[in-house]
Amino acid sequence: MVVGDVTTAVDVLVLGAGPAGYVAAIRAAQLGKHVTLIDSRPPGGTCLHQGCIPLKALLSASERFQKMHQEELAAMGIQAKAVSFDWAKMQVWKQSVVDRLADGVRRLVAGNRVEYVYGTGWFMNNQEARVEGEHGSHRFKFEHCIIAVGADAAPIPQLPYDGKHVLTSEQALMLPELPETLNVVGDDYIALELATLFARLDVKVKLFSPGEQILADVDPAALRLVQAGLRKLGVQVVTKATIENVTARPVVISQGVYPHTAGLHLDAAGIEVAPNGGIAVDTMQQSSVSHIYAVGDCTGERPLASVAIKQAKVAAEVLAGQRVQFAPLVTPLVVHTTPELATVGYSAAEATHAGYNVIQGRFPLAANGRALTLGTDTGLALIVANADDGILLGATLVGPRAGDLIGQAALAIEMGATLTDLDEILYAHPSLSEALQEGVESALGRAIHIVAK
Amino acid sequence: MQEFKLPDLGEGMHEAEIARWLVKPGDTIKLDQPMVEVETDKALVEIPSPVSGRISDIRVLAGQVAKVGEVLVVFETPDDRSSTNDSGSFKSVTTNPATQTASASSSSISTAEASPPPKKRVLAAPAVRKLAFELGVDLEQVTASNPNGRVSIEDVQAYADRKQTPVPSAPPAEASMAGASPRHAYDAQPAPLEERQPLTGLRKRIAEHMEHAWRTIPHATSFDEVDGSALIALRQALQSVAEQRGIHLTYMPLLVKLLLPLLKEFPIFNASLDEERREIIYKRSYHIGLATAAPEGLLVPVLRDADRLNLLSIASELERLFAGARKRTLLPRELSGSTFTLNNVGSFGGGSGTPIINHPEVAILAIGRLQEKAIVHQGQIIARPMMPLALSFDHRLIDGAMAGAFLARFKALVENPQQIMLDMR
Repeated sequence: MVVGDVTTAVDVLVLGAGPAGYVAAIRAAQLGKHVTLIDSRPPGGTCLHQGCIPLKALLSASERFQKMHQEELAAMGIQAKAVSFDWAKMQVWKQSVVDRLADGVRRLVAGNRVEYVYGTGWFMNNQEARVEGEHGSHRFKFEHCIIAVGADAAPIPQLPYDGKHVLTSEQALMLPELPETLNVVGDDYIALELATLFARLDVKVKLFSPGEQILADVDPAALRLVQAGLRKLGVQVVTKATIENVTARPVVISQGVYPHTAGLHLDAAGIEVAPNGGIAVDTMQQSSVSHIYAVGDCTGERPLASVAIKQAKVAAEVLAGQRVQFAPLVTPLVVHTTPELATVGYSAAEATHAGYNVIQGRFPLAANGRALTLGTDTGLALIVANADDGILLGATLVGPRAGDLIGQAALAIEMGATLTDLDEILYAHPSLSEALQEGVESALGRAIHIVAK
Repeated sequence: MQEFKLPDLGEGMHEAEIARWLVKPGDTIKLDQPMVEVETDKALVEIPSPVSGRISDIRVLAGQVAKVGEVLVVFETPDDRSSTNDSGSFKSVTTNPATQTASASSSSISTAEASPPPKKRVLAAPAVRKLAFELGVDLEQVTASNPNGRVSIEDVQAYADRKQTPVPSAPPAEASMAGASPRHAYDAQPAPLEERQPLTGLRKRIAEHMEHAWRTIPHATSFDEVDGSALIALRQALQSVAEQRGIHLTYMPLLVKLLLPLLKEFPIFNASLDEERREIIYKRSYHIGLATAAPEGLLVPVLRDADRLNLLSIASELERLFAGARKRTLLPRELSGSTFTLNNVGSFGGGSGTPIINHPEVAILAIGRLQEKAIVHQGQIIARPMMPLALSFDHRLIDGAMAGAFLARFKALVENPQQIMLDMR
């Protein structure tokens, strides 16, 4: 026993304050629970501080710069002379975005009367956790616990990350200086976005994909546009590459994440761990110990903040006595390449494999008025539906704002909308969303702005 | 694995409600052993097992509606069992080719692997799925009220309510604890003031049918009373002869026989209205529906082509139909297609009543109980066996005067049944 060891009793102890943890804490507080949120860093987690937000901020800045020397500008009558950028200032701006969001989250946490404790926690048993923090060691006795400790870049045994020559994606975003060349290993959206970001900033990028194709499961027609976009940026794509063969440095490795559960002493609480290293949970986010929940990346599920946020709400509601579960039909996925790619639901191949009688629609952005006024004709809308009843099963969008437009398709799939439903409603004109409508009409064999074969 | 799909039960039936399962998963079942009772719009049909084997899964539970072709039950037949267990200690068991061929005979049987039906998802919006989970409802089991199969919040709620059918309340605790401390009286749960039960099966169909008839048809009812003396005498005269031929003669066959010439004389009473095309359909066949009280509710068995039957055939056919209605063994075609309905209220012990027309027919005749009444005859009060008549008619096609004429003619025939001889061929 530590001298003066005091046990604090709380309704809900949340370990980890990323998008899963802070959302769980706020929702539990909304439901009248007394919540303590533990993290060694300010709230926001990987997503806000090292991952999604910094990456998207830099992607946006780099896109603006890259557009400055596109030929399209000259065609529009714009002459941009001597455009340059300052990586260090770009980093400062990125940080300002992060700081602003982090401050917002901090206010939200405080405003919901969630107690925030800086520290690292682990289980003593299935009712108590110890938190080692800025003010020494605390013992918490909890009614419910939500584990939201996230995940780290998956370690590569023969290649330790050093932040200089061998980098995680997060480390790459914090490079003090831009390298002349950069090697990226990976075939997921992060690898593609990193390659895109640095290539836009005139770094010579080589992308090494372990598999035969990048972004497995994405429709080949959509993938071709993304690959062409990478080529146009000068990214050299090498497929079937093994990490051992990538000897050039610096190298950024994006090979998935591993649940950050080491040090939690899960065994002390009797919490079962799945073979993938994640905390095993059911659809109500309950672990093998029913009053201990796990949400987000630490469950070993697809590491997406959208998933983590929803799981967090489910866990908080379940512990407050509601009967809810995490059961979305589809998960939208966005890749911020040039052109942007977004998918939701089944690709045609997946739907056929799942046993559906598939019909497809396809509409190129070159026939969309809004795309041309934005100065691009690269992109398309692909629609997958069940032939028997016209129910929408999936959509793939490529082009500007694809990631924002995909929400409409996600809603349609979740609602069980048919092609006819989607065809009956109005789409603002001219808008990119009309591509979705024309894709639907093409599946119905009656798109207006393309000539049927 | 073999699946059994709801077979076509005839008469354009597209669906049937599962009334009762006579087996449960895990049960062993023999070929032709009664397996399930299904209820169509008209009849309760018992379906025997098409194979010998074990019930592996019941897909449509009692109280649910199945469409023709929908899988009701999955069997594990002897040849399956030996193959699924082949990794274990049953390895030495060899399959018997004889059972294999025998079990594949029925037409509505198909092997599960043969051709999987194209995949369809349960259509339910996220909020509906959320509610289903909250209420512990399996969406696959919910029948959508919407014709396109979209499950609504209301469907889920209704299904959940149905699952919680009130359990008959246990006898009050006090009864078994007589003499115990009076404190228990306060602890006892108050008896619920009402109990809700879903409208299902035959009751549901009667309700729908009556609702439709009452909403669609402007009903009017004409009353009269008929002197039954001659009818009683006629029955007495014929009864002993009929008995000799093995038939118990009631009033009903006589009334049917007396009604038939009227339907030919007044064809509008044997007609129906095509509501969409606004045309009157005069029917040349005379199928008489006979309202009958079956244990589960009203059934109307149909005496087909009554005009072609002699009195004894009518009597024996009626006997068969009534027995079938009580046992719910009638076929759908024996319960549909009537052109005019006769309702013998008297047989249920009723004095009289205003009958509801059996849509799409245009009239229904209710005959009340035959009982002695004081009537005035040539200035004298005398006792006569009187029988009340109530004729409900569709006022769109038939006016009061016509109904009056019909009743008057029927009355004349019942009181003077020998008149029937005049038109007899």
